[in-house]
Amino acid sequence: MNNFMLKPLGLSLLAASLGSMASVASAASVAEQAEGILNKQCVACHTREGDNQWSRISYQRKTPEGWLMTIARMQVMHGLEISDADRRVLVKHLSDTQGLAPEETDGYRYVLERRLNAQESLEPALLAEGCARCHSGARFKLQRRDEAEWEHLAHFHLGQYPSAEYQMLSRDRDWFPIMMEKLVPMLGEQQPLQSSEWSSWQQATKTDMKGRWSVAGHMPGKGDLTATMVVTPLAGEDQFSVSMSGQYADGTPLQGSGKATLYTGYEWRANLTIDGVRMRQVFAVRDGQLTGRMFNRNDESMGADISAAHMDGKSTLLAVQPGYIKAGTQSELMLVGTGLSGMPTFGKGVEVVSIRKDSDRRMHVTVRASRNHEGVNAVSIGKAKGVELAVYKDIDQVNVVPAYAVARVGGNGGSTNKLFARFEAEAWSAGKDGQTGTADDFRIGMVPATWEARPFDDIAAADNDLGFAGRLDPRTGVFSTADAGPNPQRRMMTNNAGHLTVTAQVQDGNQTHSADAELIVTVQRWNNPPIP
Amino acid sequence: MKHLQAINNKAQLLSKAAAEDKIEEVSAMNSVAGCTATFDPGWEVDAFGGVASLCQPMEADLYGCSDPCWWPAQVPDMMNTYPDWDEKAASTKDDWRNLGTVFPDDKE
Repeated sequence: MNNFMLKPLGLSLLAASLGSMASVASAASVAEQAEGILNKQCVACHTREGDNQWSRISYQRKTPEGWLMTIARMQVMHGLEISDADRRVLVKHLSDTQGLAPEETDGYRYVLERRLNAQESLEPALLAEGCARCHSGARFKLQRRDEAEWEHLAHFHLGQYPSAEYQMLSRDRDWFPIMMEKLVPMLGEQQPLQSSEWSSWQQATKTDMKGRWSVAGHMPGKGDLTATMVVTPLAGEDQFSVSMSGQYADGTPLQGSGKATLYTGYEWRANLTIDGVRMRQVFAVRDGQLTGRMFNRNDESMGADISAAHMDGKSTLLAVQPGYIKAGTQSELMLVGTGLSGMPTFGKGVEVVSIRKDSDRRMHVTVRASRNHEGVNAVSIGKAKGVELAVYKDIDQVNVVPAYAVARVGGNGGSTNKLFARFEAEAWSAGKDGQTGTADDFRIGMVPATWEARPFDDIAAADNDLGFAGRLDPRTGVFSTADAGPNPQRRMMTNNAGHLTVTAQVQDGNQTHSADAELIVTVQRWNNPPIP
Repeated sequence: MKHLQAINNKAQLLSKAAAEDKIEEVSAMNSVAGCTATFDPGWEVDAFGGVASLCQPMEADLYGCSDPCWWPAQVPDMMNTYPDWDEKAASTKDDWRNLGTVFPDDKE
């Protein structure tokens, strides 16, 4: 280990950012190693500027994925040769010392969680025109730099990607002054290097990850899930082994294990094999709770929304599954959380019939909902609250989620995986006024549906997109995309792309509701960084 | 524009989209995270919000995209960044399976 250049400042910064979760002795090791790599490899291009400062590097903050992409870019464009182990050390160190505060990632975590159907809307439009015509808006929204650094970034794009000029609508306007005199200062002002959020976060007490966690989740195409997650520290700073054991609402078991790293004191990243599938966890840890998404690394459309709470004796409610009941009926609900004890309450018009508790993290409660009440009820048990139960008389409207999805062809011996699309039917009540589209409408939840696809328009019908682009499972709403490559059976040997309408049918008593979504099945992308 | 007439199918579609004021509908799709918002032509979606007017099969003109650095976030640009991306695929029609993904992933 090369520690001769170790500076006290680096140590104190890292120790502050790690707070109570690691000892100073172990904190030193990542900082020491990172300093060694910076001095040995990064110094070939970057200039050392005083104490622990480096040209370019020291004027940026970003997520672990952002730092990984930066270092990968040095490998691809500047011939940096670095081992995977050294790269992990640098990503860890830079994320810890120059990361983002949790609040600074709010609103953009969808991209880290690989929710690839997220619709972005950037204001002002200049941000979209200048930055998001090629890549996601979240890619730059999850960075902080001083103005000179944003200017370097703009110049880099123009030098590296000459087509950026066209992307910036250069054919219609005097684009260069607009970018340099408006866009760059705007970024420097809106996303500056220094922030009060980051200063506060470095001082904040961090969550100790070690121990057992109670997990609640929901996976489109599969349903609700519950699990316990056991986190055990490994040798190495903020490294953990993690195992999960649980089940889906249909009784299918969920089992697996893997390894995790905690970055920046709250960015939890784990790679696990769950039931034979390589899954990745991207969670944010705040106030003893985890939230985020666990997804299939080979098909990121498959994933579960997850929330989890530390089983440290506190009483916490994570979910009620299912989150709805029809007025005038009786059914069994499950409360998921930690330290569950006592008599739960489900709000107006809902009475508890019986309780069956299988652990202090799961309680099965049979409830009866009165015929006369509907609305969104607060659920509580003891002091634990924060969960809601929708009590509905009728389903009045159904929406398909996502309303617009992009799937991609893949496989067939090529280097890219297929990206599927997964749809769910979201039921809504019109509320007391009986009119949909008014303020008293409330969301009931994701309900079972039957699924059908058809051509989106005459062109899609003429090209038989329905026959070539893939297959929609009528029961689960999962669209399995077709193979990549030119298809000799199609007109002009075109790809198995397609434009389809996906329809859900939901049965509620004698009523059938239907709703549509638009599905684009398109070609693969070869450039697949963690932030698209 | 009154002196210009659409004479092929694509131009007629374009005139129709403009006449029906469909431009706003198309721009609403600009914003799917990670999809290109350049539609001349598009990579994922064409200027009409569908896929029929894309250059497909895309293998037919793939190096026409990668050579001049068009859609560099989706297709490796061979102008500056990945000059050798095509070295194992002289014919995209026959050798497209040899085209690799370009992000240097952790191998462990």
